[in-house]
Amino acid sequence: MADADSDVTVPRRVWADGDVHKRELARIFRTCWQFVAHDSEIPEPGDYVTRRIGRDSVIVTRDETGQVRVLLNTCRHRGVPLCRADRGNTSHFRCSYHGWTYANTGELRGVTFQRDVYGQGGIDKSELGLFQAARVDTVYGLVFATWDPEAPSLEDYLGPMRWYLHTVFGKFDHGLEAVGPPVRTMVRANWKPEGENLSGDGYHTFVTHQSAVELGLFASQDDLARMAAVAGPRFTGRTVHCGNGHTMRIQRMPLTVDAPAYFGYPREMWDEFDRNLSEAQREAQSCLSVGHGSIFPNMSFLENFKTNVDKQGDHARYIRVTLRYPLGPAMTEQLWFLLQPRHADPEWRRLSRLAYLRTNGPAGMFEVDDTENFVGITEAAAGDVAADLPIVLDGGRHHPPTPEEAGWPGDVADGDRTEKTIRAFHGRWQELMS
Amino acid sequence: MTETTLAPPEVQAEAALFLAVEAELIDDRRYAEWLDVVADDFVYTVPVPVTPDSPFAPHHDPEALLLDESKESIRHLWFRRLEADMHEFAWGENPPPQFRHFVSNVRARETGEPDELLVRSNVLLMGRRQSDQPRYITAERFDTLRRTPAGLLLARRHAVLDQTVIDFPQPRVLL
Repeated sequence: MADADSDVTVPRRVWADGDVHKRELARIFRTCWQFVAHDSEIPEPGDYVTRRIGRDSVIVTRDETGQVRVLLNTCRHRGVPLCRADRGNTSHFRCSYHGWTYANTGELRGVTFQRDVYGQGGIDKSELGLFQAARVDTVYGLVFATWDPEAPSLEDYLGPMRWYLHTVFGKFDHGLEAVGPPVRTMVRANWKPEGENLSGDGYHTFVTHQSAVELGLFASQDDLARMAAVAGPRFTGRTVHCGNGHTMRIQRMPLTVDAPAYFGYPREMWDEFDRNLSEAQREAQSCLSVGHGSIFPNMSFLENFKTNVDKQGDHARYIRVTLRYPLGPAMTEQLWFLLQPRHADPEWRRLSRLAYLRTNGPAGMFEVDDTENFVGITEAAAGDVAADLPIVLDGGRHHPPTPEEAGWPGDVADGDRTEKTIRAFHGRWQELMS
Repeated sequence: MTETTLAPPEVQAEAALFLAVEAELIDDRRYAEWLDVVADDFVYTVPVPVTPDSPFAPHHDPEALLLDESKESIRHLWFRRLEADMHEFAWGENPPPQFRHFVSNVRARETGEPDELLVRSNVLLMGRRQSDQPRYITAERFDTLRRTPAGLLLARRHAVLDQTVIDFPQPRVLL
């Protein structure tokens, strides 16, 4: 793959400028595929959750035939939202203003006092269904939608990223489920700084999260020695750009193992991972320290490993998905999902949940420190002089490409203290905005 | 929560005073003293807020948690990093956010356990980050207070937030 991230200059105004924000809504959020829900949130016909695409409120619902629909949450008549709750189950949506009623396919079924209001012929209901996403598709339980009828298929949009999503989300025999509804937080930051970070910033960890290191949340040499023979002091990592701004960072613990070892997951699950992953994918998962990345524009995932979260000597892994709504240039609503394997042992699920909540959960230690950076970046970028000043994004340019024999698709480099993925994010962002 | 008998007035006053002093210790950042009024098996939980589709459903998911902490996790992962030798690198809390609790509507009930009280209270928490204007969040708390030879101890706190979209300097707070 061509090095799409080679040259990109990013002035700070991209984080704070009102005109940039408006253009993003039109150029990015009206066209790109975006994550809207996990399919376990809406398992039965009639189940729905309300979400946003850009700033538009949408209803994500499973219709009576089982098809997932993404419906714009505004009555075609005079604009009142049909759904006011975060989640529920209904076969029809009835407007509170004049009573127009829609099936959960989006089809307009009933217009109150139709002949009185619109005459003997009534009104053409077939033209007045709820506006809905042009395309909806699901990959590994992750539901995506786009408004753009010209958009490529989700498969094509993700490209090689699907291979990496498989390593995270596709290795379980019985899939993943969302644990409860997402937590929703309001962050006084632009939506991009957190996305840049989660795209693959392995550089900030030991500074921003120094107190987490000192408190034992990162595996120490002693923690490592309890798991396997320790191969050395340094964790190693790779970063990848899969095109379209989708990126990932994969960091490995320095352990020597005879066969793929999926530390942090219950031992009884390892066989299914071996079965469900290719050889190259097993390599990406074995001895994984952390894997995280982003699906452009605003969804990120994190599969993390933490030690000593509840009792000394314990360790656990969790999978988190976050989604950022761009409510304003300096206002973002973030949704936080914890995903767990459906049939994992309850005690493992408990420890995984504690590890998540206390570190990378919305109230976790890591997030307190990360969020301060993102809010600060946004505040500083509002200055007139600062707005024009470009940021430095040259980290990792010297990192060598990963040998093709590894079998990892996309543009992969050996090294994860890098800005490679951030260049990729902004490279794609600029393509869409220009 | 079982509706049991309201405790007599002197116990109401005792519970209210305990909660006022407990809040003072947090607001003053006297964390070691706060840990002294918390039981060793303390559990602190906050469920995930949600807007339900039914007037008969709660405004939170009883199964899903936003916070799930023990005395040890709070001591180690919350307070330890704010001590003098580590505070410089607790970036999100440097300078420290300021918190102030306003505790009201304290209702202490006997539980059937001779040494335990179930105490419900409302809390309004002010949080201020740096020079930002203060922001406010409210919750109802369901506490268990335990009577010990050392005095009352906070044995359990379950706090139900009144915001679906949490808009506060940080969601990592002791309500």
